[in-house]
Amino acid sequence: MKHFDVYRIISASLRTGVILSMASVISGIVIIMVKGGADGYTLAQIASYSKSQTLYSSLIPLNNLFTGMYQLDGAFYVAFGLWVLIFTPITVVVIALMSFIETRNRLYIALSSCVLFVLFFAMLVVPHFLS
Amino acid sequence: MYELLAIILKFISIVFGGILAGFIGSLTGLGGGTVLVPLLSIFYGVPIVFATGASLISTIATSAGSASAYTKEKIANIKIGVGLEVATTIGAVVGSLLTVYLDHHALTWLIYVIFGIVLLGSLVPAVKRGQSELPPHTRPDWTTRIFELSGKYHDARLKKDVDYNGIRWWLGEIIMFFAGTVSGLLGIGSGALKVLGMDWAMNLPMKVTTTTSNFMIGITAATGSSIYWYSGYIQIFIAAATAIGVVIGAYFGAKALVKITNKDIRWIFLAILSFLGVEMIIRGFVTDNIIFIVPLIQFLISIVIAVVFIAVLYLHNMRRVRSVEAL
Repeated sequence: MKHFDVYRIISASLRTGVILSMASVISGIVIIMVKGGADGYTLAQIASYSKSQTLYSSLIPLNNLFTGMYQLDGAFYVAFGLWVLIFTPITVVVIALMSFIETRNRLYIALSSCVLFVLFFAMLVVPHFLS
Repeated sequence: MYELLAIILKFISIVFGGILAGFIGSLTGLGGGTVLVPLLSIFYGVPIVFATGASLISTIATSAGSASAYTKEKIANIKIGVGLEVATTIGAVVGSLLTVYLDHHALTWLIYVIFGIVLLGSLVPAVKRGQSELPPHTRPDWTTRIFELSGKYHDARLKKDVDYNGIRWWLGEIIMFFAGTVSGLLGIGSGALKVLGMDWAMNLPMKVTTTTSNFMIGITAATGSSIYWYSGYIQIFIAAATAIGVVIGAYFGAKALVKITNKDIRWIFLAILSFLGVEMIIRGFVTDNIIFIVPLIQFLISIVIAVVFIAVLYLHNMRRVRSVEAL
């Protein structure tokens, strides 16, 4: 494999992530405004700050993310955009890991795997215990 | 129709708040979240957990946005960043679980108070910022060799290549654990603590510290975000508006930072931040009815304490600058 410029790739992937995410969030908000609601919630409820009325993250069923997007439900576009944003920095660690594998830097392969392990632990294991 | 217009205006007003937060945050180097959380909770009446949730999301957006610009200059040290991320991510898990615990036990007033204290504490290093560009020369220690903490970058302003050796990796890790905890607990990037870890503990040059910290902030915030998501702390309407606003604000803040030659203007923003810090502490006690103060008196008390706080910092700073000039 040819040596790749890790800085350039990181910079490009961060930019792509932010742009994709912002585009999805903005289109989601526009759809919500146009349709006057999303995911069974009215516009007034979505814009409310009250915890008992409003639509917040854990109420959005992520299992239906793509069906929701297919049905042009704005909430799912915002959710998709926010998750793209959450995953954007993680790709940086993956790219760094790949560059360490390429240079066979054992210590840093271990350290970046460790970071990825904690990240996936936080995303997949911890939420299980929250509900 | 009337309702739609009101909601669009509400959205725009939050975007505007985000722009302001991103602008001040990037100008003072503290990051958008530090301004955003008090702004949303004090002036917009947003519940604290929604404010921290929106802030955490916005923190990722700004970190990713500005890191994409910084990493191209190749100043950020990826090895140091990834190595320290081990501690910040573990800290972020601990911190965000702590928030969930406080929320479930009706102790959210503590989040306000801790936020205020952290905000005031971050102002002290923010004041010193930009005075010493390069750290004093120290001999590399055993961690420098094992963890490969040496590096080199080209400083455009000093017009030379700067070589550096990071030391005390273990101390950096310990501080980063706390930085991660604070980030997960308060929904901010905790850039001030990250800078402390790399600048003071590991003796790295300011440029390396700030760019590496910026690149790390996103990873730390992403760790806490999923826990926030499943706990329901991310209100999509608010988070969408602030993420858009903070990105715009941070962009202009970074542009303005280059143009501003008069350093004293930063003091105005630091004064606003110290007001927000004091106000957060008082607000914490008031929301839980531990003490009762009329809002107007509350603002007045905050202003007075903030003015005293910033005056002490200003005078202390002036004396230091003068003693440096005398040398």
